Amino acid sequence: MEEQDKFCEYLSGVSPVWCPGCGNYGILSSLVEALGEIDLATKDIALISGIGCASRLPYFVKAYGFHGIHGRTLPIAQGVKVANPELTVVAVAGDGDGLAIGGGHLPHLARNNTDLTYLMFNNAIYGMTKGQFSPTTALSSITKTTPFGLFGEPTHPTALAIVYGATFVARGFSVKKEQLKDLIIQGIHHRGFSFIEILTSCSSFNTTDMNVARIIKRLEPVPASHNVEDKVEALRLATDEEKIYHGIFQRVERPTLEDRLQEVEKAAKKNGARQFEALLGQFQ
Amino acid sequence: MRHDLVIRVAGESGEGIITIGETIARIAAREGLSIVTFRTFPAEIKGGACMIQVRVSDGKISYHGEKIDFLVCLNQDALNENYGDLHELGALLCEAECDLPEEKSPRTVYRVPFERIAVREIGSRISKNIVVLGTLSQLLDIPVKSIEAFLAEKFAKKSKAILDHNIDALQRGIRFAREKLGGTSGFKYPSGKGDRRLLMTGNEAIALGAAGAGLKTFFGYPITPASEIMEWLAVHLPKMGGKVLQTEDEISAICAVAGASWAGAKAMTSTSGPGLSLMSETLGLLSMAEIPAVIVDSQRGGPSTGMPTKTEQSDLLLALYGSHGDSPRAVLAPTSVGDCFQLTGLAFDLAEKYQLPVIMLVDQALSARLETVDPELVKQPPAVTRLSVQPGADGGYVRYRLNESGISPVALPGTAGGEHMVTGMEHDELGNFACDEETHTAMTVKRYRKLQMIGNDPLTRGLSLHFGDEKAEIGIVTWGSTAGPAEDAVRLAASMGIAVQAIVPKILNPLPHEELKRFFARVKHIIVPELNFTGQLASLLRSTYRVPTISLTKIKGVPLEPSEIVDKIIEAQESLSVRSEKRYGRAG
Repeated sequence: MEEQDKFCEYLSGVSPVWCPGCGNYGILSSLVEALGEIDLATKDIALISGIGCASRLPYFVKAYGFHGIHGRTLPIAQGVKVANPELTVVAVAGDGDGLAIGGGHLPHLARNNTDLTYLMFNNAIYGMTKGQFSPTTALSSITKTTPFGLFGEPTHPTALAIVYGATFVARGFSVKKEQLKDLIIQGIHHRGFSFIEILTSCSSFNTTDMNVARIIKRLEPVPASHNVEDKVEALRLATDEEKIYHGIFQRVERPTLEDRLQEVEKAAKKNGARQFEALLGQFQ
Repeated sequence: MRHDLVIRVAGESGEGIITIGETIARIAAREGLSIVTFRTFPAEIKGGACMIQVRVSDGKISYHGEKIDFLVCLNQDALNENYGDLHELGALLCEAECDLPEEKSPRTVYRVPFERIAVREIGSRISKNIVVLGTLSQLLDIPVKSIEAFLAEKFAKKSKAILDHNIDALQRGIRFAREKLGGTSGFKYPSGKGDRRLLMTGNEAIALGAAGAGLKTFFGYPITPASEIMEWLAVHLPKMGGKVLQTEDEISAICAVAGASWAGAKAMTSTSGPGLSLMSETLGLLSMAEIPAVIVDSQRGGPSTGMPTKTEQSDLLLALYGSHGDSPRAVLAPTSVGDCFQLTGLAFDLAEKYQLPVIMLVDQALSARLETVDPELVKQPPAVTRLSVQPGADGGYVRYRLNESGISPVALPGTAGGEHMVTGMEHDELGNFACDEETHTAMTVKRYRKLQMIGNDPLTRGLSLHFGDEKAEIGIVTWGSTAGPAEDAVRLAASMGIAVQAIVPKILNPLPHEELKRFFARVKHIIVPELNFTGQLASLLRSTYRVPTISLTKIKGVPLEPSEIVDKIIEAQESLSVRSEKRYGRAG
């Protein structure tokens, strides 16, 4: 019970607007438990999101929350982290927000190794706009905008994060709450850009391919023997046709964006910090 | 009597043309003279025609000059392109082999085999521009010692041999002028007596102004003609503890500004029209979530990719309204390089004080022009900081409180008890999503009231330029860099006996209503010169004040010339005479 109270400290009291049976409830619960277990002060948490069902999450968590615009979760989160590296920044986006409209930002935050944790809720459908296909929807799916079947191949979020060079890449499942909590904790502890794909089912629209029963049938932990620095093997596991592997695929150490910016400042100040007046000399 | 000299140097990009112009400008600034320059950029990365025009004066100037007194052309193409702008009493200095157009009354021409002197006598073609500088300085009577001192500084980090080489080139240019061209021309460089002035470009002034205002985080994406702002800041801001990051696109840049500013840092981005188009959705977010931000738009020819290296003032309506929904933002428009510095400081103050985006509109010509600035104006101002609170651990913090002051205090992330949501959705005082009519109305009114408050704020009072005769019936309203040619046009008209008065608001949203209304009450004709096709300021004035306007537009990629404005003034003057004739009957 005491445990329960602790997690409740991280809930804002605003009731989630998600549909009954939505996988996002499980993710919310794993997230607040992870925050509680790390024992982060709510004042030091910045939760950034875009637009979509997943992006409603910040309203329900006690933290500093920023519900931005569609597809721009990562750029806003990066700005927050650059301005105040003391904050623990968690970015939340759905598969549409993060891989369709906002897909162009992922490689760059991965490259920069911006120290934040990116939770990508993947339910393979646009839920908030009521049932159009997303970049991860299965081939041939019948959706509102593909009445004759979807013709684009689905993308693999985890595989993309691996090739983009994210320094922590994991995949969890909303139903496996304990493991998901653990992945989020490790993601937050990781110094650098942590990408966690979270499989979640939409109870209203996508009931065929991202279906709990179907996922469970294919679910398999990343083999204990997997070397998290082996990018090629990580990619093979992430794109496996039969199994849906869950766990940590890639984990490497690299200087973060904040480290690099500090190095820049140090180099710029090698002859001492400058005040405004000192900048005027060049204009004389 | 004021002494002005307009010099233009034209040739091929890569020949050191700009260096010649900049050296003259730098030396003049050190002697306390006023300088305004104008330069064109070829569309090519390497090569292509380029020119720099330098107007030097011992009085106050705000425009680079219309007719050239002294033209320097380093090749035939440059001559063909620029000769038409030479004053009928002007002089030409050109490469010896150039052909000249036939004229009834030929102008003074100095021919010098620059190429031969550089290649044969000195043995290096790249010294050619320094030879030109030598000849030019001799003909205009620019003190050689100042040029030598400047070159010594310029090459201080290079070897002594390189400096000697350049001094040799300079001396050969001088010697040629003395021995073969009769020593001096009739044109004399004004002599300076004032204190040393600062010389900088509009882009540098903006970057410096931002650094002075306490900019902590800059995010941007390269784009002509704004890139120099980011490049300058990348070098200098980290020295002051600030951070500069080039992002993957303009959307990312402005979103990072939103995030950084929300987290408490003064944040800015700079771009040009295409970038501002991409940023417009986030402008709405900044309005809605009430987040301070400074956005600089250095306008270029549009729409779409348009004319990246050419100037235009065609983003006014985008800056004022660009974004869906009702999204208030302040818009500032500097008229000079000095303004670029000062208004950047003001942009930060307004953004922080009123928690909204502030767009600063400059244009390619202003961004790129070198101009002298009075060092007294370039002082670090005491910066306004955001109204913030420390709610304490008990919480109860209300982010969007509807209070009497109209400004809701901010709890910055990291502050105990201040946990809250900001959002692009319509929201109640707590920041929670709300789409009922009362909330949307109350919050829209709250956001727009800030514009009204800005209009009444002493920070924005007395910002407009006024010039001309207050009794004149012909009025000019213009904005941004067109203030320069307008000021010269008013002077030119006065010399022709036509009285004109002008007002140039430097804040375009909110407009200085009272000041403009008083102006409109004084004049019969309102001429609105600007660099766009549709007359964007004119239409704004018509719709806001229901006044008739005479729109004067130009879309040639270069600034308006004073004579073009004077032509419009004469038309207005003629219609005034016609009207008085109608009213009082023809005299005699």
